[in-house]
Order: sequence, then structure tokens, then C-alpha cells
Amino acid sequence: MKVYQCDSCEYASVSNKYRCPSCGTGQLHEQEVSSKGSVYSYTDIHIAPAEFAHLAPYIVALIQLDDARAKVTVRMNAEVSIGDIVELDHVENGAYVYRKC
Amino acid sequence: MTNVYIKGIGMTKFGKFVDKSMKELLLEASIQALEDAGNPKVDAVFVGNFMGGSISNQEILGAIVANELGLGYIPTAKVEGACASGGIALRQGIMGILSGEYDTVLVAGVEKMKHASTADVTQAINAAMDTVSNEKQAGLTFPGFFGVLANRYFHETDATKEHLAMVALKNRENALNNPLAQFQKPTTMEEIMGARIITSPLGLFDCSPTSDGAAALIITREKGDIHIRSSAQSSGPTQMQDADDLLSLPAVRESGRLAYEKAGVGPDDIDVIEIHDCFSMTEMLAIEELGFFNKREGWLAVEQGRTKATGDKPVNTSGGLLSRGHPIGATGIAQIYQLVQQLRGTAPNQVEGARLALAQNLGGTGSYSTVHILERL
Repeated sequence: MKVYQCDSCEYASVSNKYRCPSCGTGQLHEQEVSSKGSVYSYTDIHIAPAEFAHLAPYIVALIQLDDARAKVTVRMNAEVSIGDIVELDHVENGAYVYRKC
Repeated sequence: MTNVYIKGIGMTKFGKFVDKSMKELLLEASIQALEDAGNPKVDAVFVGNFMGGSISNQEILGAIVANELGLGYIPTAKVEGACASGGIALRQGIMGILSGEYDTVLVAGVEKMKHASTADVTQAINAAMDTVSNEKQAGLTFPGFFGVLANRYFHETDATKEHLAMVALKNRENALNNPLAQFQKPTTMEEIMGARIITSPLGLFDCSPTSDGAAALIITREKGDIHIRSSAQSSGPTQMQDADDLLSLPAVRESGRLAYEKAGVGPDDIDVIEIHDCFSMTEMLAIEELGFFNKREGWLAVEQGRTKATGDKPVNTSGGLLSRGHPIGATGIAQIYQLVQQLRGTAPNQVEGARLALAQNLGGTGSYSTVHILERL
């Protein structure tokens, strides 16, 4: 899992930015970290837009990564609760698909 | 403080109007506002609209208004800011007057959504997310974002789905008295709690509907009895995964802070409020972010009835987006329509003696927010 870490404050994100949106001065640097994390929150989507309708209902979760001060939005392949330990299963059309550990 | 006053208001009924085009709705509201203002000379037009291009194949709404109403070859523009299109259009009109360029501006908002399928509208609404991201590819939807927030809110507080239902019920009860509201059928806690799930824990009544409708305002530098005390706008994170605090909407908090500062008032001074309740959960967070209640305690205020029309902080006396309806581009203007009525003393669910009013309009999943504070002189 790629994470972009600010060199002058604690900010980190899974997407790169021109400069740090938190301190406004730092530069973000790419780091490779473990995909492992815990479920921060989630929802079970029943009504989906046309392009995802064939998957519905499906679960989207926000994961707090263990090794970075960053969260990542993923699709789960199983039901989850807040606090569950999860990790990357595979990448599908640009989406991180996670499984329970 | 601005030197801008609201001189006229207009609004169509919100709902499903298969026989009316977007143009007809837009003109109906605009003509009402012009007549209410005594048909002044208009120097510019700003129209808030979000999906006219994608689902009605219709742009150039500003020029259409100027031409159809015979306003002359004046400058016009359509303003897009997702669900905050109306609020941002109003702000552009105010800025035009503050700059000295215009004396009087027609600001309108419109949306036509009911002719499209739910899947197509959901797809079009998704344009208000950052669509080139792993988050969008995961299948996160607009309602889904607020579903994730709600589950975390329940985890960190003693709030439950019932508190969200209380927000939905309150706004429906307010809409019953508003002849322009989309939903005028009474409901119950049981019906709301038992409704089908859209995105857990949000059910049908927790989500604003798709709607057709328009609203319009005439704003001017000529002194009148409804003063726009301040206008503020902020941006926020465009992706859920970039939120520093998931239970915060920084754009709402910051636009509120700026609006209070410019107006020289605080949340305690506000008598009546229209908030962007695109979802019941959004209202819960916004009443906290705007300083009416402590963080993580909005649900208590809802439980105690403090946000009802009869409470000490009446929120969404129009019925809100949930029950007045949410024709996207029109919403920010419809909020002002209700508040002007409150300040004139002619509103549905009138708050006695209302003098200071606040409107907050949200775009995207917290990407844009505008706050306007109005005062009766």
C-alpha cells in the first residue's frame, strides 16, 4: 500500500498532493506500508449507481492503516464491524478489495 | 457586513413536474421574484444548477433567463458547485454588488431530476465526488459517505438510528405546513424506522429525494428591510479517506466561523436556521459544526426537541431538503426564500419575532459550503 507522508508534519494520505494540505508547507513523500489495518467505519450500500449496480448490496469500509497516520476507503468481501482487523485481498479496477484477517 | 439587501423572492412548488421543462420552472420562480421586488432593472443574472448538462442536455441557463425575461444583453452565468450551486450563485451575486459592478442582481437556482431513472440520477450525482480515485472505484456513493459517518457517530456517542429518525420526522412535520414542500403526507417513527435501507444505517426517510423545482431572489444595494449581514464560503476534503476527523465537516465549520466573524454575531444570536440536511446525519453534524450545540452532542439536542420549530434553535422550518425536497441547484436559494419569509413574519412554521437567520448550503461530500446570515432591519 502506497502512502504519502508529509516531511514537516504528521499528515499522511493514500493520495499524493502538490503540497501538504495540513501544514501548507511540507512536501509529501511516497512510502510503502503494510495494507493491514482496522475498520474505522463502514456502510452496506443497497442503492448503487449504474456502474456498480451489479455488485449491490456491497460493503464499503474506511480502514485505519496500522503503519501510517492515514485511512483508506476499500470495498470489503465480507461483513465487518468497527474495530475488525483487515488486509488487502486484491486490487480490482483501481479499487482496494479487503478481507478480514 | 455587506451592503446588500434582498428585495424579492420567488419559488415554485417542489416535487415531480413531468409537464414542465427546466426552463419553465426557472422562469416561473424568476418572474415571481421580479414581481415581488417591483420589477427593478436587473444588471446581472447568476443561476445555480448542477446536472442540467448531464441529464437534460441544457446549459446557458443564465442567458436563457436574460432573454426570456427581456432583461437586455446583461452579463449572466450558470454557477456549478454540486448541491451548493445555489448558495455559491447567491454569493457570486453578492460579490458582484460588493465590487461596485452591479446594483441589482437576479439570482436563481433550478434542477429537473424526476424524468431520469434512479440509477442515472445516482450516477450523475456521483460527479460531485472525486471520480478519479480508489475511493470512487471502491463504489462509495454519496449516501454511502453519510452512512459511514453515521455508523462512526453511533460508535462514538450514545446516538442511535432513532435519533436520525427524529430529524426526519421533525422535518416532515414542518413540511406539512409548507404548501411548496414536496412531501405533505404525515409519517410516524415506526414508518421511518421500518423503511427500506438505502445504505446502512440510512433508510429511505434519512435521504433527501430527487426533485424538480426552482427558486429565485432579487438582491440589490438599495437599502431594504432584509439585510444580508454576511456571506461566507469554504472548501473541504473531496475524499472521505482524507478526512482528518471523520465526524467533522471542515467546510461547514469554517464557512460558519467566517460568516459569524463577518456579521459580528455568534450562534447564540441566531433565531432561525436552514441547514443542508441532504441526509438526516448531515443535519446532526452541521448543527454541531455551526456551533449551535457541542461536538458529539447534536443528537441530545434533537432528542430534547431543541431543533423543532418550537425549540430554542429551530432548524429547517421549511421541511429541509428531506421533506421540502432537493432540486439540487435550487436548494441554496430555497433556504433563503424560507428565511426571508421568517424575517417578514409570513413563514410556514413562523418563529415569533425572528430577527437573525442563518442558511448553510453544502456541496459534495463536504467539498463546498456556504453560510449566509440575514437580518430583519
